Amino acid sequence: MAAITSEGLTKRYGHGVVPIRRTASVLALDSLDLEVREGEIFGFLGPNGAGKSTTIRLLLGYLHPSAGRATVLGLDTVRQSVEIRRRAGYLPGGIALYDSLTGRELLAYLADLYGRPAPRRAELCERLELGQRTLDRRVRDYSRGMRQKIGIVQALQHDPELAVLDEPTEGLDPLMQRAFYVLLDDLRAAGRTIFFSSHVLSEVERVCDRVAIIRRGRLVALEDVAALLARRRRRVELRLTGEVPALAGVPGISGIEVRDGLVTCHLEGDVAPFLRAIADATVTDLLIEPAHLEEAFLEYYADELAS
Amino acid sequence: MNLRLLRRTVAAQRTKLLLVMVSLAFWGALMPIIYKTIGLDANIKRLFESGALPRQFTQFGGGDLFSLPGAIALGFIHPLAVALVAVFAVGFAASAVAGERQRGTLEVLLARPVPRRAVYLTLLVATLGFIGLSLAALIAGAIAGSAFVGLVGEVDLENVPALWLNGLLLFGALGSIGLAASVASDRLSHALGPTLAVTIVSYFLDVLGTLWPDAEGLRSWSVFYYLKPKETLIQGAQGFDLGLLAAIGLAAAVVALMVFPRRDIAAPS
Repeated sequence: MAAITSEGLTKRYGHGVVPIRRTASVLALDSLDLEVREGEIFGFLGPNGAGKSTTIRLLLGYLHPSAGRATVLGLDTVRQSVEIRRRAGYLPGGIALYDSLTGRELLAYLADLYGRPAPRRAELCERLELGQRTLDRRVRDYSRGMRQKIGIVQALQHDPELAVLDEPTEGLDPLMQRAFYVLLDDLRAAGRTIFFSSHVLSEVERVCDRVAIIRRGRLVALEDVAALLARRRRRVELRLTGEVPALAGVPGISGIEVRDGLVTCHLEGDVAPFLRAIADATVTDLLIEPAHLEEAFLEYYADELAS
Repeated sequence: MNLRLLRRTVAAQRTKLLLVMVSLAFWGALMPIIYKTIGLDANIKRLFESGALPRQFTQFGGGDLFSLPGAIALGFIHPLAVALVAVFAVGFAASAVAGERQRGTLEVLLARPVPRRAVYLTLLVATLGFIGLSLAALIAGAIAGSAFVGLVGEVDLENVPALWLNGLLLFGALGSIGLAASVASDRLSHALGPTLAVTIVSYFLDVLGTLWPDAEGLRSWSVFYYLKPKETLIQGAQGFDLGLLAAIGLAAAVVALMVFPRRDIAAPS
């Protein structure tokens, strides 16, 4: 079963319930069709203003769609948003917390509003290195990173079926980021679904199973991360001492240049035909640059970068 | 209503509530003492009755200094008491949702499985509770002050609950308007401004009407006109006034209950 589905989900701002002043309407999300499978880590990519937060807010019932519909855990996002929030955990981007409470009081209060125990709180605090002394301090005294850790704990402490995480590693140091990635792997192994919004491409590449790229409110790509990377064009450098093998015509090879025993070319797709083609050559060095999500992402935004 | 949210709201406001209650109790206790010192002084009473001062100046807001119910009423409608009760009726109510929205904490609250209507009703109950306790402190102070100067017999204690109810419905109506503005706004100033304006203009119209005979007709446009502490203490509950104030509060609540669940909560800017 799909954890999240959307059909033609559209959000246009500028048509309030009580229109006090007329403003130009803005199309923030345009006919989004999406399916997030149960038990996967789904990356949702796009620069600021692309429509990521609007999508999340529509899914959790903060916003009402202008057109289309969406379901989360099989529940309608408009009519059953309370039930969705009972079964989901949400980390808002740039989370704001109740500063006058201690970390411990805050987590207890937020868990209390679910009306059920928070079985994962102690474990999460330990894994994110939120010690007893830290939890007894007031939130107003917390650093950005500590606030983010508290934000992660409040989203996951009740062991939700679905976690919606908006820029979850913002403010975390590299060690904590690593701990967080392991935590996500464990959640996936436990069958939980993670909807992961980010603009840090390397971490999406590192943790996500599938990725959607959104641009100006429209979905421009939705693919397996592995498949997306496999299709990327990679740069190849091949240093030889003997005769240059015939690379022209090898599937996926293009842009061949030969100079002083150094062959450079581009490789797209399966690497096996290329390896077979150079099997008899006297290779002294071989470099195949790894494919990165960044290039795929930039390709979708190429015209914006050009302008 | 959500009891956990209510507990948290009360805990967050308890220091402020205590300060307001103590201040109002002290203020309320002062009125009978002033009445005994000034109102019962025959020379001062003669001065006021001589016509040297306009009659309206002796009956500010429907209160006066020459009867205990009048003195208690004067304390009730005095700007100081109004300002103290408005800490909750205007300040708390207007900031309850819009303030959280502006700080960004509404995000976290609404991420829980708490319906928006429950959030609103909880905050309405909290607003009414804070107002009710503040007014109870004011009235308790007045009764204690009356007992202190040995004049408690001049007040019909049976009418005291009606006075409390009259005050609760007036400030409750303002609180309900404040909350309605709060649930409809993204910024605190957008909620606080209109609520404060309604309160100040309304108070000004009532005071102007009591001090200037030509402007007396304006009083009925003020919600403060329907607070009748002296009449209530002497004659008991004024049904029409209570009904009208309740209707205003209810109308604002209905608007809030319609707007809040339907409105979009966009990402904080």
